[in-house]
Amino acid sequence: MKNAPLLKIEDLRTYFYSKSKQAFIRSVDGVSLEIARGETLGVVGESGSGKSITALSVMGLVGGGPGVISGKIGFKTEKTRKNLLQDLDDHVKLAWDNGKIMGVDKDVVGWEKNAGRVMSGVRGKEIAMIFQNPKASLNPFTTVGSQITEAIQLHTDIKDPLQARERAIHWLSRVKIDTPRLRIDNYPYGLSGGMCQRAMIAMALACEPSLLIADEPTTGLDATIQSKITDLLAELKSELGVTTMLISHDISVISRLSDSVAVMYGGTVVEYGPARDILASTLESKHPYTSALLESIPTERHIKAKEHLRAIEGDVLDTVNIPAGCRFYARCNRVTDTIREKCERHEPDLREISPGHRARCWLYFD
Amino acid sequence: MPKTILEVTDLKKHFKHRKGLFSSFSEQERTIPAVDGVSFYLKENETVGLVGESGCGKTTIGRTILRLENPTSGRILFDGNDITAMPADQLRPLRGQMQMIFQDLDAALNPKMRIRDILKEAITVHHQASDEEVDRRIVELLEQVNLKKSKLSNFPHELSGGEKRRVGVARVLSVGARFIVADEPTSALDVSIQAQVVNLLRDLQQRLGLSYLFISHDLRVVELISHKVAVMYLGKIVEMGLSERIAHAPRHPYTHILWSSLVEKQSKEASRCTTRPHSGVWGVFDFERPQGGCRFAPRCPVYESKGKPVVCVDSASEPRLRDIGNGHQVACHFPL
Amino acid sequence: MKNYTQISGEIGDLSGLPFWKKADAVDIAYVSYGLLIVTLVVVSYILGAFNLLPRDPQDIDLELMMAPPGTVGHLLGTDYMGRDMLSRLIVGIQAYFLPGFLAIAIALTFGTVLGVLAGYRGGRFETAITYFTNLVDSFPRLVLILLVIAAFKPDIYYIMIVVGLTNVPVVASLIKGKIQFLKQKNFIEADMALGLPTRTIILKHILWHNCRSLLIIQATLGMGEAILMETSLSYLGFGVQEPTPSWGNMVQVGANYFMQGKFWPSTAPALAILFTILGFHLLGDGLNNILEGKRNR
Repeated sequence: MKNAPLLKIEDLRTYFYSKSKQAFIRSVDGVSLEIARGETLGVVGESGSGKSITALSVMGLVGGGPGVISGKIGFKTEKTRKNLLQDLDDHVKLAWDNGKIMGVDKDVVGWEKNAGRVMSGVRGKEIAMIFQNPKASLNPFTTVGSQITEAIQLHTDIKDPLQARERAIHWLSRVKIDTPRLRIDNYPYGLSGGMCQRAMIAMALACEPSLLIADEPTTGLDATIQSKITDLLAELKSELGVTTMLISHDISVISRLSDSVAVMYGGTVVEYGPARDILASTLESKHPYTSALLESIPTERHIKAKEHLRAIEGDVLDTVNIPAGCRFYARCNRVTDTIREKCERHEPDLREISPGHRARCWLYFD
Repeated sequence: MPKTILEVTDLKKHFKHRKGLFSSFSEQERTIPAVDGVSFYLKENETVGLVGESGCGKTTIGRTILRLENPTSGRILFDGNDITAMPADQLRPLRGQMQMIFQDLDAALNPKMRIRDILKEAITVHHQASDEEVDRRIVELLEQVNLKKSKLSNFPHELSGGEKRRVGVARVLSVGARFIVADEPTSALDVSIQAQVVNLLRDLQQRLGLSYLFISHDLRVVELISHKVAVMYLGKIVEMGLSERIAHAPRHPYTHILWSSLVEKQSKEASRCTTRPHSGVWGVFDFERPQGGCRFAPRCPVYESKGKPVVCVDSASEPRLRDIGNGHQVACHFPL
Repeated sequence: MKNYTQISGEIGDLSGLPFWKKADAVDIAYVSYGLLIVTLVVVSYILGAFNLLPRDPQDIDLELMMAPPGTVGHLLGTDYMGRDMLSRLIVGIQAYFLPGFLAIAIALTFGTVLGVLAGYRGGRFETAITYFTNLVDSFPRLVLILLVIAAFKPDIYYIMIVVGLTNVPVVASLIKGKIQFLKQKNFIEADMALGLPTRTIILKHILWHNCRSLLIIQATLGMGEAILMETSLSYLGFGVQEPTPSWGNMVQVGANYFMQGKFWPSTAPALAILFTILGFHLLGDGLNNILEGKRNR
């Protein structure tokens, strides 16, 4: 029984114009995702797969620069219901010359204004985000406490500074920071990487958002700290039931926390479904990329037998020169002769292969 | 019996923090012991994995062994030569045999040089070679690291991460390296490319008889590629032994924590019971380095559970690395 | 809602093209103008050096004092002593050309040496060099020049030595910064690990491959500055002395007649100064944007 979707992304396309290549880098190329209330959606993929850009598009942070977005991001809570991409396109004009795109004429000010208008009351309040590099995401010149307090005063009904401070202390202890009453007056440089990430999580949750986007929350931290942060996220999930969009390249983190998983490759979702189906150890009934990805991680079996890892040959897809057929075709090891032609020529759709489990692969349809 | 290629004895590297031009006359020098008395050896065709959290000094060990930093004290024997204080001009011919793969993919690649020139330069550093010889050697190297010949005329920024890593490895091989310090060679790469590089490094070891000091924080990869593993904590090796034993029968509490922090293992545990044992004990992760005694005591669950024995924090009795059989060494008063 | 699905277009990959095809049109214009000026200056210098002038610049013609531009035989007119303006302008280049090169040579040589020492060796060298460059930087340049003039004589070469020396800190800090940037990228260390001789690392990998364009840019900017310094000092009467023509003293002398409506004796050299310095600066700027990629990043 699924809850109504809180966030519904439909056919999201986020392109960046590269001047030196005179072409669009198609970072996100037709992504559709849904996050039900209380659910954790894990988005897994390698660099350049478009997972972070998807998150930034949802946050309305593809602002300045030559990024263009199309599609629909529906966001629905009890109070609000809006399309986060409304009218953004009116601020972009493309310059064509002989069938080539020569440039993107973007009214950045208007775009930002529009995004600001649509996102007001959403960004930070309804959707909060934590980033990969916690040290860099905290302002180094003010204390952790004042940053959290500021966010609380801005986004919640608590306007009284003392009350807000108490609230901040509450959240700091909630994310298991020792002696929060002392730590609240720390500057970020006085905190370790793990502590900073905890503080970031506290700041994100302090405004009680409907949706939390965690972009690589454990990457770059030490192994012991990574597991602590993962523990914390798991605990917050079970206690608070925060709806989370978790982005990571680390499959172990994804498998620990997610209810459903979307595997991204080259700007598209290649497999989407319940976590237990996608991350199950059986290799059948899965997109070849997912199974190859799972295989390329060293496991007990590899270590015991000292055997070779099954690497995916070739390189991560170049999102400028997108092939006509399946994006994974060049690296795929499960192409059979019967479908080879289709794989090479036509891109498969994301279609259901078992209830609730969709994959983008010709193996599964005629 | 394979020969010992590298032997490090009581290696120390202390960094000094100095402020201003004249502060060397003042007393206020801060010394940071990045590596604080480390001993180990490495046999030919063997891989020793070095693991530990960031800041524990594992990269500094690699750099000091290759004399990119000058050691504060201790002794480094490479292939029978004492290189601890060897002058640069005598060291240069040896450099070809001991090499480093840097974490940074761009490290070995001058951004303004084509791949061909980068490799050519490396080939001719230590050996005079005619153009045909160089060309032949380049082709051979490309084949060894599985790189397309068409990439030779490219500049480094036109390559993908995996290709850059391959060029880096080719450059290291081109000078005739026998011992390679691999400093986090996979951490800047995507998962699917990581596996390629790990396979490549293992292949090369088998084919060319290389020895690796494999520095990484990715415990799984270390376990897979290494014969022996050394676990570092704050500048010291706290446990060393065969990789299976370190992974599956660790004796030092820190090693135990490290391996049990593999999120994957935890997720299985977590599905069974909601609260893991000891979870409260390991809460303190921001701590001061203790003045004396065991470095790990402030974080140590054993220290807590034994009722804080004095011997652990006594400044006169820092635990030494001692052998507990089968070449397994541990530095702990109360091994698990 | 627009749909970008149809946008694939043909891909014109520019990354493999030579740098002048990738550059901005503005930068190209800057550099072309700069190169034009540099060519003009060099050609004029050679003409002057071999005395291939329309007229003798010292030839006094009392019949034709203050002839306006366009007078037969005097394209840019004559000055208050009837000397040909065009010839004097061309010869005026002699006043700063070689001295300018001297200043550049001094600045680049010492700056590179100090920058390499500070950046490559680091540690105490860096501290000492930083102190030294701060000291030089904090000393007013004009005072220094006047001191030198007072101590020796108002010779343009002495002045240019001072100009060169006072530019050393700029070059040194740029080179130092570049080396520290390269060090961050680890490749110097990788070169050391490879066993490359220090000489090769510094000369080939650092200076030739990575600081070349920086030095060229600094040279062009330095030339502009040298011209400015020479002309202002000559204007003040400390530089090149009459009757030897220099753009600076030409402006100064010509300015006396400006209020009488005789604008050309001062305006012509002033415009020459303006366009030349502009040329050198735009050249430096454009090269900077193209070679170092400031604008595209």
